[in-house]
Amino acid sequence: MRTVDPVSLTVIWGGLISTCAEMGVALSRTAYSMAVREGLDFSTGVFDPRGNMVAQGDDSPGHLGSMAFAVNRMLEEYPRETLHPGDAILCNDPAIGSGHLPDVYMVTPVFLDGALLGFSVCIAHHIDVGGAGSGSQVIEGVIDRYQEGICFPPTLCYSKGKPVPEIFRIFGANVRVPEVLGDLRAQYNANTAGAVQIQDLARRYGVEVLHAAMQEILDRSEREMRAEIRRLPEGVYEFEDWIDDSGPNTPPIRLKVAVTLRDGGIEMDWEGTGAAVEAAMNSYWNYTYAYCLAGMKSVLLSSAPQNAGVIRTLKIKVPLGSILNPRHPAPCGGRNVLNHRIYDVALGAMSKVAPERVIAASAHFFNPLMGGTNPRTGRSFVCWEVIVGGVGARYTKDGIETMTTPYNNTNVPIEVQEHNNPVTIEYFGFITDSAGAGKYRGGSGMRKDLRMLADNWNFYNLGDRAVTPPYGLFEGRPGALSATVLNPDLPTERVVNSKGKYRLGYGDVISWRTSGAGGIGHPFERDPAAVLKDIREGFVSREAALEHYGVAIDPERMTIDEDATLRRRRPAAAAAASTSRSFISPSPARSTCRRNSNRER
Amino acid sequence: MAFRIGIDVGGTFTDCALYDDDGGRLTIAKVLTTTQDPSIGVLTGLDALLRGDVASAADLSAAIHATTIATNTVIQRCGPTTALLTTKGFRDVLVIGRQKRWELYDNSIDKPQHVVPRNLIWEAPERVLYDGSIRDPLDEAAVRRAFEEMKAAGVRAVAICFLHSYANPGHEKRAAELAAEVASELVVSLSSEVSPTYREYERTSTTVLNAYVTPTVAAYVQKLEEGLRERDFSRRLFIMQSNGGIATTDVVQKFPIRILESGPAAGALTVSRFASVVGGGDLLSFDMGGTTAKLCLIEKGRPALTGQFEIDLVNMKKNSGLPVSIPAVDLVEIGSGGGSIARVELGMIRVGPQSAGSDPGPICYGRGGKRPTVTDADLVLGFLNPQNFLGGKMRLDAEAARRGIEEHVARRLGLSVEAAAWGIHEIVTTQMAQAARVVSVGKGKDPRNFAFVPFGGAGPVHGMRLAAMLNCRRVIFPQGAGVMSAIGLLMAEPAFDLVQTRVIRLDADSLPTINALYGELEARGRRQLAASGIDGDVQLRQSCDMRFAGQGYEIAVALPPGPYSGDDLEKLREAFFATYTATYGDRAFDRTAAIDGVHWRLTTVAATPGIRLEQTPPGRGAVPSGRRSIYVPERAGFVESPVYDRYNLGSGDVVEGPAVIEERESTVVLIPNSRATVDALGNIVVDIHA
Repeated sequence: MRTVDPVSLTVIWGGLISTCAEMGVALSRTAYSMAVREGLDFSTGVFDPRGNMVAQGDDSPGHLGSMAFAVNRMLEEYPRETLHPGDAILCNDPAIGSGHLPDVYMVTPVFLDGALLGFSVCIAHHIDVGGAGSGSQVIEGVIDRYQEGICFPPTLCYSKGKPVPEIFRIFGANVRVPEVLGDLRAQYNANTAGAVQIQDLARRYGVEVLHAAMQEILDRSEREMRAEIRRLPEGVYEFEDWIDDSGPNTPPIRLKVAVTLRDGGIEMDWEGTGAAVEAAMNSYWNYTYAYCLAGMKSVLLSSAPQNAGVIRTLKIKVPLGSILNPRHPAPCGGRNVLNHRIYDVALGAMSKVAPERVIAASAHFFNPLMGGTNPRTGRSFVCWEVIVGGVGARYTKDGIETMTTPYNNTNVPIEVQEHNNPVTIEYFGFITDSAGAGKYRGGSGMRKDLRMLADNWNFYNLGDRAVTPPYGLFEGRPGALSATVLNPDLPTERVVNSKGKYRLGYGDVISWRTSGAGGIGHPFERDPAAVLKDIREGFVSREAALEHYGVAIDPERMTIDEDATLRRRRPAAAAAASTSRSFISPSPARSTCRRNSNRER
Repeated sequence: MAFRIGIDVGGTFTDCALYDDDGGRLTIAKVLTTTQDPSIGVLTGLDALLRGDVASAADLSAAIHATTIATNTVIQRCGPTTALLTTKGFRDVLVIGRQKRWELYDNSIDKPQHVVPRNLIWEAPERVLYDGSIRDPLDEAAVRRAFEEMKAAGVRAVAICFLHSYANPGHEKRAAELAAEVASELVVSLSSEVSPTYREYERTSTTVLNAYVTPTVAAYVQKLEEGLRERDFSRRLFIMQSNGGIATTDVVQKFPIRILESGPAAGALTVSRFASVVGGGDLLSFDMGGTTAKLCLIEKGRPALTGQFEIDLVNMKKNSGLPVSIPAVDLVEIGSGGGSIARVELGMIRVGPQSAGSDPGPICYGRGGKRPTVTDADLVLGFLNPQNFLGGKMRLDAEAARRGIEEHVARRLGLSVEAAAWGIHEIVTTQMAQAARVVSVGKGKDPRNFAFVPFGGAGPVHGMRLAAMLNCRRVIFPQGAGVMSAIGLLMAEPAFDLVQTRVIRLDADSLPTINALYGELEARGRRQLAASGIDGDVQLRQSCDMRFAGQGYEIAVALPPGPYSGDDLEKLREAFFATYTATYGDRAFDRTAAIDGVHWRLTTVAATPGIRLEQTPPGRGAVPSGRRSIYVPERAGFVESPVYDRYNLGSGDVVEGPAVIEERESTVVLIPNSRATVDALGNIVVDIHA
């Protein structure tokens, strides 16, 4: 095997990553649907001739972890020697791909003068693949994936540069919107653009050097990740947490992991995790793996290269038939409700070995859908919302206020939502005292109230953490629970299930209140000045400041009442100080208090 | 006699260009930027030029200025206490933002902190709906109370941003009246005036930033005008806006947010004039300085514009900054510059985004820099002249640069110092080429068809290699590359952007509505120009951000001039289809689908004299001023190559690569198989042979 000099290796590696970025640009530029073009719900990658992922665009964690496995399974059906330049294979089988039908993979072999250089690969979320409802992601009442839309096992869809017409006809006949076929063509454009760049590298450096570089990239990535794993003590670290339910009147579901760190490798064993459910929220193995990897990557090496070298360091074991490795044909359209908890549990386990690298649990999102007839237009509408609370506390600082974690998304602008759908947003803001208290507090929960100005509409809720709150760590407190409230402050007010399906009327208001994120460290150790700032900015009430943080405020001057704070935080020291006031000045406890505030500022 | 002067304040230097409208003569001066009070540097530069020439300040017909004052105020968070008044129930729009992560896996990141904290945000009971109708009237007593409280809290500037105010600005205007009654000393910015487009977070952010920079910018402008008056300058001071047009100081003091990207816009404008040199084709401007490189696509002679950008980004990462919804020259900034630091990671060379900047700077500056940079590598490779850096004002320590590369890069990888230096040069150039590819592909352009225009201190050193990597065939090294932005100022036209968001379905019935809307915008634009004392020909440019009905995002479509009648409907639809195809690629779409116009834009542009640069005298054949060894990878080592002094070259002179052409602010490195010709205006035009 040829060796590669360090400069060529750097340029080739950069070139492969840049190829992924360029494929992404080509895909979003030629795609039809907004999900792909503006939502950027896709990922791209480059694979070596043996089917190892060498580089990937920085897109979606759910695609990152699954791509490496999906391509291998697809190539099992289409061995390399059967492929030709210009071919493309598609697949959206949830058990092979990214865990639900709307995510469609496409793989293109790349040749130069008859030699297989590797593969260009992309995955895109299609806006519809048929099934029970628009968008193919209905949760409640869906009992298997046959109800969720059309499924393609690995299937040749382009042959020697030409579309296979039967495949396009079948696909077209099974989806609600024609854009889907346009997006398939855009995926092929992206793979072709990637192929051109890979061929260019092969021409500049030679096929042998390119392949040697691909090998070297994987080996170095693996070595780097293993070195990072070896920094931590070997051992088995366990954690468990819960999903509230799978709909009204269903039991909670346990997610349990044992993480073993040994010999520079990680094994995650999910023995003890609850069984698959009869609702479209099961996470197929690839998707589970994706968020296991996302968790480990964020804890160990957030900049770790996204390739098969890093993937070699993580093995997962998941009981077949569990919610994280369901049997075919479990329904799975809304499996994103689980990504949060897989990540929480992975980080919870790592908190026992690498406390300074984890965050406490973040607030869980709501991702509801509302549908009905728009009285303004007389046509049906689908109104989509995403309501996201805060990020868990960090080891040395507070959590982030309202930012998506562990995936990436944006909220829907209020003014755009009100333009497009018969709704008014009545409230959008933080919930006071919802953040998990701690030396470092979690991000706050968020509330959004939506009023529907349509008759007889359907509301499909999707959220969690109304039963088990996001955990805090190292004596930090959990965040507040979430709630979905219909018609708040009215006689008709009632709390509804986080995954329920409801039929509502004109003027009804839904109020989502996300959970808050967990805190880290004992709240009595929080710098009183930080508590005062939170009171001033309205994130924490004065009552909660005293109760949870032990900080008393002089309401007149809005300053810290140091004596009262000391009495609450360290009653014994305060008592001692008051009996011996004449001898000790200033009191040791008070000076501790000050020292804390200095250190953290 | 009529003279005009352009003055551009940069991070290190303040560049000044004086132009004689009669004689077509350009004189330039460079003075140090006075960071504490940039107006001092500006006036020093002005004095330097006026002393040396026949002109006095009284002879100037206009002064045109580009400044970083607004940007610096935001980045350094040195504006005054600023508050926000918003619709009840929506206090947190500004703090929540769009919630997008800017690093996918890194949990140590923080969200951009806005300039107004949550405790300085007040709410007013009121509600306007999407169509501009009023559901809840404005609670005036509550608004008065809010302003009283702001006064007590020491607030100096306030942004007023109510939901859907772009559709009905009534409540915002009334609140502003109440502010004038209750707290007349408050500086007030209304979102319906600053950025009347929908998407409440972006509009609020823009308005808040406008309020925040207003007092600082106003004080600066007034100080500058005072200094000019003391020098008997009695004409108008114009300031460059981010959109590439200039505005009078009264407009700038009301909408200072429009000057955030003042300097880069002027630079891009200068490059756009080279469009004629290459037959009106597309250009890629490439400005590589000490810490970053900026790329801008120039289409048909005009810099590409964007309707939204971000300020105060972390590591140039998208979504890490504060959004600004104002038309601006569309720049892509990457973290590669002369000061980018090289290091070894995973047994490979990595360059940037960490930068030694200009302080301490590269090792060879001898100012305490310890880590090898791109400039150190360029020096070791012979591309830079250690005796003649910045026109000889600065000596470079080549030995120290060698030692730094040896210790931090070469030894660790078992490479020679030269191979390591070449690695650094090639890797940083490749990174920029990759970024340039993604920019051009994203705009539906093939980089092979561009002419490439490198400038900035490090641009000409890397420009040829970069162009070759992109398979560009032509590279232009402009005359006056060291003061590009100052020259651009002299070419800029007074331009004012107006926008109105209203979702209008494009059909025969809506044409009268569209005409009425543009009529209103035009009247406002003309009033604005008249108030600024600008007369003469006014050109109107109309555009609209359109989409297929039901889509979530719009594309900017240039429209033919109105008013529109029945037959024009097809023209408007065709304009949309053409832009759609250019943006998203050539392919079939449903030509009968409904189209919505969303943001209706009008730019009023007044004529400007422009500049006609004087001809460079014909050369008598290029004669090298010396020779030195430069690294030529094609020849696997150093090659003794001719060195030319740019100021000794005349028009028609030809230089074949490999060679070096030195000028005061930079050095052009010609690669093998390239031939440079000096054109009539002194630009160096290089053709690369395949």
